[in-house]
Amino acid sequence: MANNKLMTTVAPHLHEKGQTIERAMRDVLLALTPAVVIAIVVYGMNVVYIIAVSMITAGLSEVVMRRLLRRKVTLGDLSAMVTGLIFAFLLPPTTPLWVVAIGAFLAVGVAKELFGGLGKNVFNPALLARVALMISPLALYTTKFVEPFYWRSVGFFTPVATSIDNSVVGRVVYKGLAGNNVDAVTSATPLSLLKSGRLLVDTVAGATPVGATWVTDAGRPSFWSTFLGFKSGCIGEVCILALLIGAAYLLYRRTIDWRIPAGIIGAFLAVMLVTWNHPIYQLFGGGLFLGAFFMATDWVTSPMTRRGKWIYAVGIGVSIALIRLLGPLPEGVAIAILQWNVLTLLIDRYIAEPKFGEVKKPWFNRLPVFQKRKSAEGET
Amino acid sequence: MRKTGFKTFRRGGIHPLYNKELCSGKAIARAPIPSRLMVPLRQHIGAPNEPLVSPGDRVAVGQKIGDADAFVSAPVHSPVAGIVDAIEDIKSFNGETVTGVIIAADAEQPPFEARQGKPLDELTAEDIREIAGEAGLVGMGGAAFPTRVKLSPPEDKPIESVIINGCECEPFLTCDHRLMVERPDDLVQALELMIRAVGADRGIIGVEANKMDAVEKLRAAVSDRPNLDVEVLEVKYPEGAEKQLISAVTGREVPPGNLPSEVGCLVQNVGTAIALYEAASAGKPLYERVLTVTGPGVKEPGNLIVKVGTPISILIEACGGLTGDPAKVIIGGPMTGWAQEDLDAPVVKGTSGVVALTPELIDIREEHACVRCTKCVEACPMSVMPNFIVEAVQNGDWEKAELWGALDCFECGCCTFTCPAYIPHVEYVRKAKAEIATLKG
Ligand code: SF4
Ligand code: SF4
Repeated sequence: MANNKLMTTVAPHLHEKGQTIERAMRDVLLALTPAVVIAIVVYGMNVVYIIAVSMITAGLSEVVMRRLLRRKVTLGDLSAMVTGLIFAFLLPPTTPLWVVAIGAFLAVGVAKELFGGLGKNVFNPALLARVALMISPLALYTTKFVEPFYWRSVGFFTPVATSIDNSVVGRVVYKGLAGNNVDAVTSATPLSLLKSGRLLVDTVAGATPVGATWVTDAGRPSFWSTFLGFKSGCIGEVCILALLIGAAYLLYRRTIDWRIPAGIIGAFLAVMLVTWNHPIYQLFGGGLFLGAFFMATDWVTSPMTRRGKWIYAVGIGVSIALIRLLGPLPEGVAIAILQWNVLTLLIDRYIAEPKFGEVKKPWFNRLPVFQKRKSAEGET
Repeated sequence: MRKTGFKTFRRGGIHPLYNKELCSGKAIARAPIPSRLMVPLRQHIGAPNEPLVSPGDRVAVGQKIGDADAFVSAPVHSPVAGIVDAIEDIKSFNGETVTGVIIAADAEQPPFEARQGKPLDELTAEDIREIAGEAGLVGMGGAAFPTRVKLSPPEDKPIESVIINGCECEPFLTCDHRLMVERPDDLVQALELMIRAVGADRGIIGVEANKMDAVEKLRAAVSDRPNLDVEVLEVKYPEGAEKQLISAVTGREVPPGNLPSEVGCLVQNVGTAIALYEAASAGKPLYERVLTVTGPGVKEPGNLIVKVGTPISILIEACGGLTGDPAKVIIGGPMTGWAQEDLDAPVVKGTSGVVALTPELIDIREEHACVRCTKCVEACPMSVMPNFIVEAVQNGDWEKAELWGALDCFECGCCTFTCPAYIPHVEYVRKAKAEIATLKG
């Protein structure tokens, strides 16, 4: 008998089949695939170039940073790939590839690895990098959106990049790989239309905004074009239906917690209805679904307890609504989630999870002060 | 959570592969008696026993060989007729060193002679406690708490319900299942005795829904007893944990740090109940028990009656030996049991099974930093924060470890089972418990 080879680890001796970090990350990649496909249809192969650069840079950043920080290289857990893909999802479809690379490095190399690696990062890495670009001098490259199906005039496979030309109105032109100007038109997103007041029920007036060919005769985006993806926007937020299919898969696999998207969308909708705003454009016009299902649900940067998750989710929903309604920006998802990423630290520390059998179910964990007093009593 | 329509506890729990079919259909058989038995003198929670015999003494089957004066203790009896060879330190299944009585068994074993006592109906509560104490009964599900103590609840906390734990929620194990199928009437009689011992109003046998054959037999056995009931429970681990079982059956939750008597309940294991019946009806002390020898690493899994003190190697041989090279041999169930370095450890009163796992079933990886997926929080039946306990232990912050619930954890292993970062929470919790205990003095 091979007695000497018996293992003697501590119980439990079984592990749930397939319950690994890689599997969860693979699930997310798979869940985002439908959205990638639709984005390619709407915005052409440029999307593929951006995603490829983002994921490759993310992977390389992880390898290099972990080597530098003398940590074990853990590319196999696919988390860098997920960050790379989600980061690409947050970009306009004509972001120059060098900007993509800088952003992907910021996401994985700085926002994740410098914070301590997967599990220790406070902020959602992709979002932090996205916001960093937005407030940097590179902002103009990442805030101009082409109209859907622009590739019909420039070619499906043609790489197109936003470029700055101070001599034109709006300072933005689109260039091909060889540096030649190409024939793509900047377009408003549904939310920027809303922000400019163009979609308020009473004030639909004036000419259809430049390039907004997906807007109906009445000057508003049709429901179906915002829902199915024939609109301007970031790569990932284009088709709500594709996102929902992926989200359903993640919910089914229990990779993400239903409470977070439910709380965000519920709270957001509530605020929109109470303030009498048109909910359809607000819901489908921007990054709400992408954020609610794929970014706010990030394991590392969301709270641990059931109660904490509700607080976090409702908080994000309300924050997005307030930013959109009161702030200067048309979007608000990224800022809102980042803000609640920080608050997660407090939620986890102070909001109590009622234990089994606890008669009084306290809302707050005993603060350190009480802790000390109690142990001091114990000593006397 | 999956809904099945059956009652269950409120939060958490997991669905491992049960693998019960390996031997749930196999009738209980007698295991061979080894020539040399190692009987630990302490097989229970509480005060250790002093040996009552010395090397060279002849012992009879069922003779008391170790006892203590303390209330929280349980005497030990000789499982065989034979001669005491030595009293020496032996290694217990959990790695501790305990004093054991080594007995050389006679080649011819006389059967146990039943002692006729009072008829069961005439036993008083005090009689029943006395019988449980004399027979050395302990909880046979693993905790090994002396039954006499359990049957003496505090005066101010009346017991309403006695619950028999027929869940056997640990994967692989089937010995309680077989006892319920083969001896339903004895079990019901034992339940009546326990109800009398604590003055309860009713008795409930909680059985998981994967043992419907046992449920049918038990329902037939309780059909003419209006105060007894059989409750079918959802198949979910750890349905059979004391507090979870009470919650599933009665809907009441035992508050942290309290005993089941707080909510008027008493839980007993199936094996213990049968042993009480045997002690009350035939005067038979607890020196042998039914356990399951199973797992893909065993050639012919089965349910065996085994004398306490039998080394597990004998049992594995009796089941056809090990297949190839198993990766782990576990005493107890695979969720809470103890992995063995070798096959020398003896069976004790609390041993519910021997499980041999093959390498395919072992999934151990290097511990990753916690990725805060909350799966452990969702899985924890006690609703504590397993990953925060781990973090506190890593920082040596024992107050935080307690705040996050280290003392409420009963080491069921759900958290580790489901953790994608492969963090061994139970190991950390044990460390925290030990530290907190020394800090509190
Ligand atoms: S081992 Fe403890 S912490 Fe883990 S699930 Fe069980 S009770 Fe909860
Ligand atoms: S299951 Fe593991 S990785 Fe997930 S939160 Fe718990 S300890 Fe962390």
